[in-house]
This record gives sequence, structure tokens and C-alpha cells, in this order.
Amino acid sequence: MKGYAEKLLRANLSNSKVSKEEISESMKRDFLGGRGFAVKILWDEVKRVDPLSEKNKIIFSTGPLSGQLLPSSGKMVIASKSPLTGGYGDGNIGTMASVHLKKAGYDVVVVEGKSEKPCYLLIEDENVKIVDASDLWGKNTFEAQDILEKRHGRNSGILLIGPAGENLTRISTVMSQKGRAGGRPGMGAVMGSKKLKALVVKGTGNISNFDDNKLKELGKKGYEEIKGKESYDFWMRQGTMQAFDWCNENACLPTHNFKEGVFEFSKEMDGYMLEKLHMGRKGCPMCSMQCGHIIKDSSGQGAELDYENVGMLGPNIGLGNLPQVALLNRLADEWGLDTISLGSCIGFLMEASEKGLIKEKVRWGDIETAQKLVTEIGKGEGLGKLVSQGVKAASEILGKGSQKWAMQVKGLEISAYNCHACPGMALSFGTSPIGASHKDAWIISWEIANDRFSYDKSKVEKLIEFQRLRGGFFESATVCRLPWVEVSFGLDRYPEYLEAITGSRMSWQDLFEMGDRIYALIRAYWKREVPQFGRKWDYPPDRWFEEPHSGGKMKGVRVDREKYEQMLTWYYELRGWDQNGIPLKETLDRFGLKDVSKEIIEQVG
Amino acid sequence: MAKLNFFGYLADIVGSRAKEMSLEKPVALREILPSPFPEKNIIVLINQKAGSLDSLIRDEDSVVLMPVLSGG
Repeated sequence: MKGYAEKLLRANLSNSKVSKEEISESMKRDFLGGRGFAVKILWDEVKRVDPLSEKNKIIFSTGPLSGQLLPSSGKMVIASKSPLTGGYGDGNIGTMASVHLKKAGYDVVVVEGKSEKPCYLLIEDENVKIVDASDLWGKNTFEAQDILEKRHGRNSGILLIGPAGENLTRISTVMSQKGRAGGRPGMGAVMGSKKLKALVVKGTGNISNFDDNKLKELGKKGYEEIKGKESYDFWMRQGTMQAFDWCNENACLPTHNFKEGVFEFSKEMDGYMLEKLHMGRKGCPMCSMQCGHIIKDSSGQGAELDYENVGMLGPNIGLGNLPQVALLNRLADEWGLDTISLGSCIGFLMEASEKGLIKEKVRWGDIETAQKLVTEIGKGEGLGKLVSQGVKAASEILGKGSQKWAMQVKGLEISAYNCHACPGMALSFGTSPIGASHKDAWIISWEIANDRFSYDKSKVEKLIEFQRLRGGFFESATVCRLPWVEVSFGLDRYPEYLEAITGSRMSWQDLFEMGDRIYALIRAYWKREVPQFGRKWDYPPDRWFEEPHSGGKMKGVRVDREKYEQMLTWYYELRGWDQNGIPLKETLDRFGLKDVSKEIIEQVG
Repeated sequence: MAKLNFFGYLADIVGSRAKEMSLEKPVALREILPSPFPEKNIIVLINQKAGSLDSLIRDEDSVVLMPVLSGG
């Protein structure tokens, strides 16, 4: 199959050995790339290990669409066994490394072992070196990015961690280009545990596609189509921040640690306020609809904003001032902390303080304390130490009923959508394969457009369709999903792109089946790595079931637990999993995963 | 008075984020919107319940029109 570099690069930091391996045709056919490659490698190679030990591996994986001259293609996936959740963890990131890696001749990089001293991996086409990074260790991601750009060129593909990852903070992420982030489930800590500060990638070759002329023509048309969309101008002005007043109107804005769905200061920090404060825009390579908007933060420096970080570091912690939110966001990016989890951790501490469960005073909306907490969480010190391993771990330490409002699923903090009145989205968070991420399925629009209060089977079927598209295809291709919904870019384009790149015609049915195979393997991985894994791992927090909204349009609304159980039962049936959420033997066999089914059946009995 | 609120790029199309209008008799929503108005990938809520451009709007109704989003 064309369109791949055909090579996996393996770097062992324990013995400094670097090797190159062929990627098989069956791997490409059955798993496509990105997330698909990552989970297959983890299943084969990372078995029942401590995620922060040298036996864990971290995978940087592209797909056939990554870095091509196509709309919003500058993406790749970073995956590992997660130190935050204990199960499968991944995240996609927009980065020049996506463009360079295939040009350098590799689809995937697997880093294993552990270096004795800080290092970075330098990939320059066939020349691969493990370079001393003692001078970079301790530097924040912006400082380290500057140094590496100066050393290796401004256009290099750089993936790096900040001090939070070095300190093994489990909500640490991987950064690129001073603002792009990926790998929410503690991928930064995995790099830190290996003393791996960065990957620097420079490729000068060409990707061997099936039909370059056709691809060029399709890419040009794609960019033109996006720019001609009716919603394009508005998108360019507000980007994902248009979701802010949208969510407030629909009572799904995370407010005061997800207690409420509307925020009294919403008008002071919505997309229209962003337009007033707007200084510039940043985004990923190959993207014509860049979503990072820069404003001057409250300290006077430029800082990037998008909906997720504003939702979680704004209303979720009771902070109604956009420049102050921008300050917290910039600090989080410098430290290499995941902004979604950070907002949840700070909100958790504020609620714990309000309830008198901790002695420290952490008031809602207190910017000085929130700013101090960013540093403490990044260092794992002071009060920040309690939440630096995530809110699930914090609630287990704190006890006193705090598990009910530790806003996480499977150990990963919920992203910026309150689901008291969105049961389908609650199920989406519940069944997301990495924990409570929105990237696999975002069904809120669909359920509000139809019947947000229904718990029908059709809602579950739609959710699985979204997971196949977003969590299956987009995460494995790998390409950004935003053009599809945000400006109604045609889904039919993607099989055309794949055909021009690979020479193989794949229908959406083929791609959905591939997505289902990837999901089944991820579930099997969870079961193997977390023996007690099962149905209760797919429940959202009790807050959504037991504490109705106290005000707003959805006052009194909560998720019905019994009806949620019914949706979950349908979900498992439709996926071919048992009622504990474990793929059935026939399901795994149907996807050609007989070795997996043998191992899981032996384990489950 | 019927109240209409517009979100996202739909407000650009209408030229306003909110409108109020007096309706003497029920009228299909599309008849009180600029033409052409996007038919696909939009959400219509009438008194917080899902509706469509063909739903009849009464004088006391509250209507929300918003684009379908996909999450940040």
C-alpha cells in the first residue's frame, strides 16, 4: 500500500540502540495508522508494566493522511500505557513533526527504555541520534522550544515536555510550537520517566503516494471548498470559542466543578469578547482554519485560547475574566500541563475548600491562588501535590464523599461539557476509550437537535457512528476532525484522499469496521492491563446522577441512572461486547484478533 | 412578541444576535427568516424543544437557531 514511509523507528534509551523495522501490509490494512498502529504495538509489546517504568513505551504515530498537502492534516498521535488511568492512553497533536516524520522516512517512532540522563531524540532522515539534554532539563516548553529551534532550525518538528512531565505529574502532556498540546492521559510523564525531553524531527525526502497529481488536485479543491463555506468567516473570528455562548445557552457549560451548566459572567468571556481582545491566530501545519486565538493575558503577554481551556480554567473554577484565563492557560502550556485536567483539579480543590474538607482557603475565581496552584501542581508540591496525579487519585486520598464530584471517568478528567441535561454525551464520556475525552464522540449537537432528554437506542447507535468516525477514522488517518462539522466539509472527500494516497479504495463501511477493530483491541488492552476493569469503568461521576442543576434553564435536571444503564447495555450489545464491556470471542475473531481473544478469554474465563 | 436568538454564523446571516417580532397568527419559521437560510447542520429550538424551519411560530414563542458544532 502506497502513502506510507513503510518504516518504524525504534529507539531504546537504556542501551542507546536505534533500529528500523518494516511495517507490514496487514498492519496498514487492519489498523490504518495513528491510534490503530499505537494500540496494536502496545498490545504486542507493553504488557502489565508500571507506566512510569522503563518497560513502558511511548509511540509517536502518523497515518496515511498525516502531513500531506490536505486540509488540516498536520496531526499525529502520541500513545502509551497511561500513568494517569492505568489503561490505554493517547492524544493527537498538531505539529510540524507530523510533516517531517514521514519525509524523514518513518511512519512511527517507538521510544523504549530509560536514559540515565536527560536526552532528546534527533531524527534527521536516516541519521538518528540520542542527544544530551541536560541543558534543557528544567526549562519550560517555550524556552526549550526556542533553544531547539535555534539549534536545529525554526521549521523543525519538535515535540517536548515541560517541568510537569519531568516531575512525573500525571496530568502532564506533550507540547509543540508553543501552544499545540496532545496526550492528555499523562504522556508528558511517560516522556519524563524516560528522561526524554524532546523529539526533534527533520525530514527532507518525499512521501511516495499512489497518485500525487490527483492528490494535489483534491487538496487544492479541499482548501477552496473550506474557504467558500458560509460559516468560514465566523469560524476564523471565533474558532472553537463560538462554543462558549452556545454551551451556556444549552446549559452544558462546566461551571463550579460541573455543578451548574450556566455561568453568570459568560458575556465577559465568550467568543464575542475574544473578538474584541483578539491579537492574532495560531494553529497546526496544513490548516486553513486555525483555531488558536491569541489575546494579551493579564500579565501583558500574548497567550492562546480555545474553548476547552476557557471552559475549564474559566467557569469551571469560577473565573470570569478572559485575560486571567489566558494567563493560566499560558502558564499551563509552559509547564506542559493539560489545561482540561488542570481546570478540573483546581475546581476540585475549590469545592473541597468550600466544603471545609481541606484547611487551605481556595476560593472560586481566585486568580492569585489558581496561579500559585499551577506551579504547585507542576512541581507536585504543597496543596498542588494532592491533585497532581489527577482528581480520581485526589478523591481517593481525600475521601469524605469527594469521589462523587471528582469529575473523571477511568481516571481522566472530563472535558468542558456538563452533561446533567445531555445523557448521550454522558454516555460518550463514559465509553470513551481513553477516559472522559470529547474527541471520540461529541453528540451534544445531535441530541439537542433531536431530543436531548431521550435515552433511546437511536441515540446509542448515533454515538457509535460518531466514535467510528472520530475515534476510529480521524484518530488513525490522522487528520483533524474540525473541518467536517465546524464548516460542513464533506466526509466523502476522505475516502478520495485515501485512494489517491494509498491506491486502495476504502468505503466508509470498511473504515468503520477498522474503527470497530481498533475499539475492540483498546477494550481488550484495558482488560489485560487492569484486571478489575469492567462495566463500572464506563460510569460518569455520581454528581450527574444525584445532584440536579440548582438553577438556569435546566434547573432540576440530572441524568437518570437506570436509563443510563439501559443505554450502556445497548451500547455493549451493538458493539459485540459482553455486559461487563469486554469484547466477545466472536467479535474479536471477526476482526482477525484471534490471539487477543485467546488471551482475554483465558483471563476472563 | 416572538423572540428569536441566533448563534454563531447564523447571527451573521441575519445581521443580529436577537430579534423580536409581533405575529398576528402562527407562521412557519422559514417565512420570518432571511432567504436563503441554511437548511442543514443547524439546530432549531422552540421553547427549548427541538423544531424545524417548518415549525409554526406563535407570538409568545422563544426560538433559538444555532449551528451544529463538534466540540473543541
